[in-house]
Amino acid sequence: MAKAFKYGLKGITGFLEPAERDMLRSLIDDVISMLQPAEHASQDPLAALIGLDMDVQEPTDRAVKRLLPNVMKNDDGASLEFRQLTERSLRETKIGALRAAALDLDKDEVVLTAEGARLWSMALNDVRLVLAERLDIRDEEDAEHVHLMQDWSQAEDVESYLALVYNFTTWLQESLVQAMLQSLDAKA
Amino acid sequence: MTLSVALGPDTQEGTRTGTVASTDSLTAPDIPWNLVIWNDPVNLMSYVSYVFQSYFGYSESKANRLMMEVHKKGRSIVAHGSKEQVERHAVAMHGFGLWATVEKASGGPGGNSGKSAGSGQGKGKRG
Repeated sequence: MAKAFKYGLKGITGFLEPAERDMLRSLIDDVISMLQPAEHASQDPLAALIGLDMDVQEPTDRAVKRLLPNVMKNDDGASLEFRQLTERSLRETKIGALRAAALDLDKDEVVLTAEGARLWSMALNDVRLVLAERLDIRDEEDAEHVHLMQDWSQAEDVESYLALVYNFTTWLQESLVQAMLQSLDAKA
Repeated sequence: MTLSVALGPDTQEGTRTGTVASTDSLTAPDIPWNLVIWNDPVNLMSYVSYVFQSYFGYSESKANRLMMEVHKKGRSIVAHGSKEQVERHAVAMHGFGLWATVEKASGGPGGNSGKSAGSGQGKGKRG
């Protein structure tokens, strides 16, 4: 079983079993593949270099849209314009955090610097956002319902398996963030 | 241009050149904008508070107060500033996975001191 993250002399440390690391790695890979920007034949290479993407559209996949939300509530036009300027680099930021976390998964013991922990918390959060969309978690009640699923012997179908995976990543992120808050306190 | 936004260390970097609003502003620089964080059932309360503390440099108590406002009221205004500033914050919040939007402040130029982030009562369901 994984051990909760702790803040101590070595920084922030955690422990994950090989099966848990494999599972996290595949979740991370899934989210990375969702975030890879589409390559357009007409893409201006210079525009791409400076992060512009004039062909970008609002995502149709709900999970991708949750990862890359509109910047204005009731102005799709302005949101799309903003997306053209910023979405590509936001995708790259997220992929960077996910890749960094995946690289730390080569050993049972995970030892993180403050920056590494920040990237891990971002990566775990994006993994959870995607799982939550797949589980159709729309409100606190849905979240509670999913949270009740704690026993791996009950995993009979894809949905209950996903719920268990979601609860595991939630627990892992919560323990990581608690350790990060302790390290903020220690610095203050 | 003296909206006193509580910018954290992270956000100072971008403006250190001192050329405030001298570049390509498409909108009048002194119209205040709000950064709004919306509630969702996924993000951990601890994580939201961590983001407010580490990114904006808010104290633990201020971060927790804003986080609870998001949780209970469904949304909270967590920063004010020029359109460019709040847009930059919004991208950073999206990087963290928080659901953030920007909106024009209802007070108009000089209407609000911009000091008390989170005292958003009365402009709640705007737009």
